[in-house]
Amino acid sequence: MHMQIKHVMAVLAAAAMAAATLPAYAETVVIVSQKNPATRMFAEQASQFFLGKSNMFTPIDQAEGSAIRNEFYQKLADKDAAQVKALWSKLVFTGKATPPKEYKSNAEVRKAVADDPKAIGYIDKSAVDDTVKVILTLQ
Amino acid sequence: MNKQLLVAAILAALGVQAQAGTLGDGNLTISGFGTLAAARSDTDTAQFARYNQAVGVKDGVRIGLDSNLGLQATYQVNDWLSGTAQVLTRKNTSTSFTTDLTWGFLKAKINDEINVRVGRVVMPAFLISDYQNVGYANTMMRPPIELYGQAPLEAMDGADVNYQHAFGDTNLTVQAFVGTSRGKLFVASAGGSVAKYRAPLGGASVTLEHGPVTFRLGHASADMHSSDLTPINTLTATLKGAGLAQLGEDLSLVPGKRMTFTSVGATVDYNNVLVQAEYAQRRAKEAVYIPQTNAWYVMAGYRFGKVLPYYAHAASEGAGTKVKVPAALTRIPPLNAAVTNLLTAAEQSSDLVGVRWDFAKSIALKVQVDRIKPKVKSGALIFAPAAGQKDSVTVVAAGVDFVF
Repeated sequence: MHMQIKHVMAVLAAAAMAAATLPAYAETVVIVSQKNPATRMFAEQASQFFLGKSNMFTPIDQAEGSAIRNEFYQKLADKDAAQVKALWSKLVFTGKATPPKEYKSNAEVRKAVADDPKAIGYIDKSAVDDTVKVILTLQ
Repeated sequence: MNKQLLVAAILAALGVQAQAGTLGDGNLTISGFGTLAAARSDTDTAQFARYNQAVGVKDGVRIGLDSNLGLQATYQVNDWLSGTAQVLTRKNTSTSFTTDLTWGFLKAKINDEINVRVGRVVMPAFLISDYQNVGYANTMMRPPIELYGQAPLEAMDGADVNYQHAFGDTNLTVQAFVGTSRGKLFVASAGGSVAKYRAPLGGASVTLEHGPVTFRLGHASADMHSSDLTPINTLTATLKGAGLAQLGEDLSLVPGKRMTFTSVGATVDYNNVLVQAEYAQRRAKEAVYIPQTNAWYVMAGYRFGKVLPYYAHAASEGAGTKVKVPAALTRIPPLNAAVTNLLTAAEQSSDLVGVRWDFAKSIALKVQVDRIKPKVKSGALIFAPAAGQKDSVTVVAAGVDFVF
């Protein structure tokens, strides 16, 4: 842990000195298609879709086991990957819902969201382009 | 729903799936769940079993109590229509593992808030009824038998409708179902026998979710028919021979008897605290041998990262009978004793401690120790001594739950 923090500090310091610009922290943003009328959303609302409690939007997931996915559910709903899996297995094996489709990269999630007016996904802030709209930023 | 139609629907769904599987068009999802667990108790005088199991555990290690395997295929036909089939292998009313179709339905999404399913669905009598076999989705190793043993009905052929609506931060879900449940009842008395039953049924549940709290109220009514329930039919015939035909008719399931199951339950998952509690009643709407019962349980757990220790207490008690025993019966003491015993509900309570450890992706390890106190008629223990199991029984179980 200390090693990691030291390492991060060193990288930050080096980056700041080299480029004289502030390094962007890995920020995850929740996105929808440009065709979706939604403009802003609270974390509680977004979690409804990602935890299968509402069908109004279609959630799009990142790859299972990926760092962005684990952090996303922790930040969004304070749940770890196993809790989310247990919750979805309740819905899946009672035929109530099918789990979100998974895509392997920010670019693939972005494309899937851009193409579907009902989709909701999450990607790293750096991967946002004008095909999608950011409706929530998770710190 | 008639059987041929159901089979046709499932075959059609499976046919489409097989084709899709080879085409790999992404609309087919195959998933599964299972539990591999071993259990034993500290006695050889009675057996501890799940509800409707023909064989339980004694003082030897057995894997049949909790082990199961479920396989599910879902095919998304288009935006609004999908088909799902699920088979479950486990030890139930047979002494060996058997496989049944537990779910097999076509689901039509009417809009974002309403969907209708037609085919075979699980009857959601109680809070966790419809996912009680999915170990990974549950905290405890098995549903408390005190409460879940009250309703013998599982899958039903028919239809259900689900309505989901958000009122601000509160989610409302209403489910209504109607159909016919067909299955087997394991009767442990007289060495054990299996009877077939048929039960036209209907019911509804209302679920409210607000933040970490989920509250559910459910009610179901079933018209229980069984014509080959040998021990009861024998008693009915004996009573008729003794000039007590009406009493015999009152006890019997041959003419069909309406029973209701009502439950109120809640779960709280707040920060690291997990609580699940439920209270349920089984009632007879007309005279029948099956005693009325009340049951409840409370489970509390605390999450330390991936390790979740929990404790639960469960109890069941009798709540009377609708059968009016004629005074004439007292003149035949052996028959009187048999009827009185039949109309008395088995009662027990249990305490259990366990731990769930999510040690790897999609796999959880569970260890659970149950201490069962039989109170009346050996509680839910099977193959108990004729005089009744008086001593408490301890059951230790360990295993893994997985999903894929």
